[in-house]
Amino acid sequence: MNDESTRAKLFVTRLLANPALKELNPLDREEQIIQFLHSNAAKLFPTLASEQFFPGRKWTEILNLLVRILQEETDAVFLPLLEELIGRNLDFTFVSFLQAGRPAASGCEAELKEFLKKLLRKPEARRAFAAPFDAVRHGFVDRYLQAVYELKQYIYFELTKIQRLRMSKEEVKNMVKATLLLRPGIHLLTVGSMQRDRQATPGAVQPLFAEKARGSLRNQLKLLPDNLLSSAMNSNVSFLENKRIEATARLATLFAARALRYRPMAKIDRGASSADKSWFSIARRNHKFYGFDINMLDELYKIAAENGW
Amino acid sequence: MVSPMSKRLVNILESLVITAILLVLVQTFMEDFSVLAGWDTGRRSTILLAGFFFDLFFTIEFLVRLYYAILNRRVLRYLLQQRGWIDFMASVPLLILSSGPWALALVAGETLFLGTGGILNLLKVVKAVRIARILRFMRIIKLFRHLKNTASPMAQRHVATVTAIAVTVLVLSLLIFSGFAESLDLKPLVSAFEDRQQLVAAELSSLASEEADFARSLKLLETTEKTLLIVKLGGQTVFSRHDDGYYHDYFGPGDYGYTEAGEIELFFDLRSFSRESAGQSLLFFALVLLIVVAYLLIYSPVFALTVSDPIHVMRRGLEERDYNLEVKIPDRYRGDDLFELAALYNEKYLPLKDRSKPAEDAPLLDLGSADIDRLLSEEQTS
Repeated sequence: MNDESTRAKLFVTRLLANPALKELNPLDREEQIIQFLHSNAAKLFPTLASEQFFPGRKWTEILNLLVRILQEETDAVFLPLLEELIGRNLDFTFVSFLQAGRPAASGCEAELKEFLKKLLRKPEARRAFAAPFDAVRHGFVDRYLQAVYELKQYIYFELTKIQRLRMSKEEVKNMVKATLLLRPGIHLLTVGSMQRDRQATPGAVQPLFAEKARGSLRNQLKLLPDNLLSSAMNSNVSFLENKRIEATARLATLFAARALRYRPMAKIDRGASSADKSWFSIARRNHKFYGFDINMLDELYKIAAENGW
Repeated sequence: MVSPMSKRLVNILESLVITAILLVLVQTFMEDFSVLAGWDTGRRSTILLAGFFFDLFFTIEFLVRLYYAILNRRVLRYLLQQRGWIDFMASVPLLILSSGPWALALVAGETLFLGTGGILNLLKVVKAVRIARILRFMRIIKLFRHLKNTASPMAQRHVATVTAIAVTVLVLSLLIFSGFAESLDLKPLVSAFEDRQQLVAAELSSLASEEADFARSLKLLETTEKTLLIVKLGGQTVFSRHDDGYYHDYFGPGDYGYTEAGEIELFFDLRSFSRESAGQSLLFFALVLLIVVAYLLIYSPVFALTVSDPIHVMRRGLEERDYNLEVKIPDRYRGDDLFELAALYNEKYLPLKDRSKPAEDAPLLDLGSADIDRLLSEEQTS
């Protein structure tokens, strides 16, 4: 490693160690630092271009170097975490229920891991991946689907009767988790945008675009079933644009949105409603804006309220 | 600008005051309890003297606070807003009217009891101002200045104010009632008893010249008047129920009465009245404590639930970009103005905030120029 890389690494390490970022997942930390570098370019450039750092370099060169090092540092922490999460939390036995003659679960798992590693080379996909990752990591799917199957109301009906998932509760959970992890695959077709949004602007992903993205995914993921890829891509589409979106896709949309910058250790003030209850309540009022399924929100709100989540 | 040294000194003094307040509450209880339990004079005198030193301490504390308030031209603010009036009422009158005379009586008591008794009028003064002791209960309110029972200063002040009002009303009512009782000549039992002793003394005095009658009367009084302690005739003790050691151990100021008629001097036992008074005092003490505890444990949480907590949640929601917790609205308070406002906050403001400022726009790594300079200088030196 040359001197510049060493200095860049040291600088990035210091930024990553900032206590304000402690609670975030590695991808969110990375995103925060990139934002910081962009918004403080004018202050940072004179010093970073001096003799002690990167003499003679332009700001874009310095920025690219810092971002590259930052991504390397993030990957060193995040990829093992991701592998562990998939290995521990995701069982692909559900694929055999979706399409007969599908290969072994282990093959699907390996394919998914490989695909995600490739996908995460795209900055916009990295940004979009943090929330779905947190949704799986913090157990939203397990927690809520458990309650959904006990309640046996709207969501249960949508999953079993409309989407016709003839599989066990655990397998449905796994399918929703896989949907979440594949959701950022929509960025296969996006072009290196520097737009900082991590969640697609409501209605920005049209059903046709999602369909095209599913085609691209199909080319890269030979083992995973079509229904899963469709569910993953449709989770980026507004429910108002397409009322026929799969229930798993709608659930993935909600869980990803809920997990956006989620702080599991955040203290709930006395006199305040619980975090999930508050979030679902606000989401119910904004369901048209974000293209959420209001009936699902109502049920998830009820579950959150009853369980004090 | 307050130096760290002065700040430390102030903290030490404040801690000292809190400790003194807590200790004086124990002392207040012990003072009455020791009378009820019939403790010997030695232990009771120690407790009374401790009370005197506490009164002295709080008087000095009040004077120091007043002095600084005068220096800073904030006398009214200290006396009214910062409850200086409580500091005053719970110190100066007690020192002058209650514990001061008691301490004096204690110091002089031993010589008084077995001596001529002429200076015993002092005890009558003490008795007259016994009412002032009620003011001791005001000290409980002093605790509120230091007690941080809630995170909200508003809740703290509100609960302290209503508690101060309740305790002050109770204490002043007792004080005023006692004053009225005196002025309306509604004499307490002890006064009637003293009057009777005066009659006994007069009767004995009239018989003093008839030796046989005097001896017979004295013999009768010994069996019928169990509170009669000592009878002196012309300065000579002609009757004493106990030996001097017993008097020394079990009779302090206020425990005995004195009256004279002609050549006759009588000392009589007032301990049953002292016990009655101590029992009453403990009852008032318990009443005041219960009022304070009730406000702290019952009213304070209700105030937090219905006022300060919802305000705190709404303030955070208005101030912080990422704070999106709704105010919890209890069904039974839904009609309150504050909760109607909270409903608007939940239903209108939070969704609007969520739509207009997505969370991802808010940078968490919000370093100022100084932080960035420090970061870069750390880089340069490493």
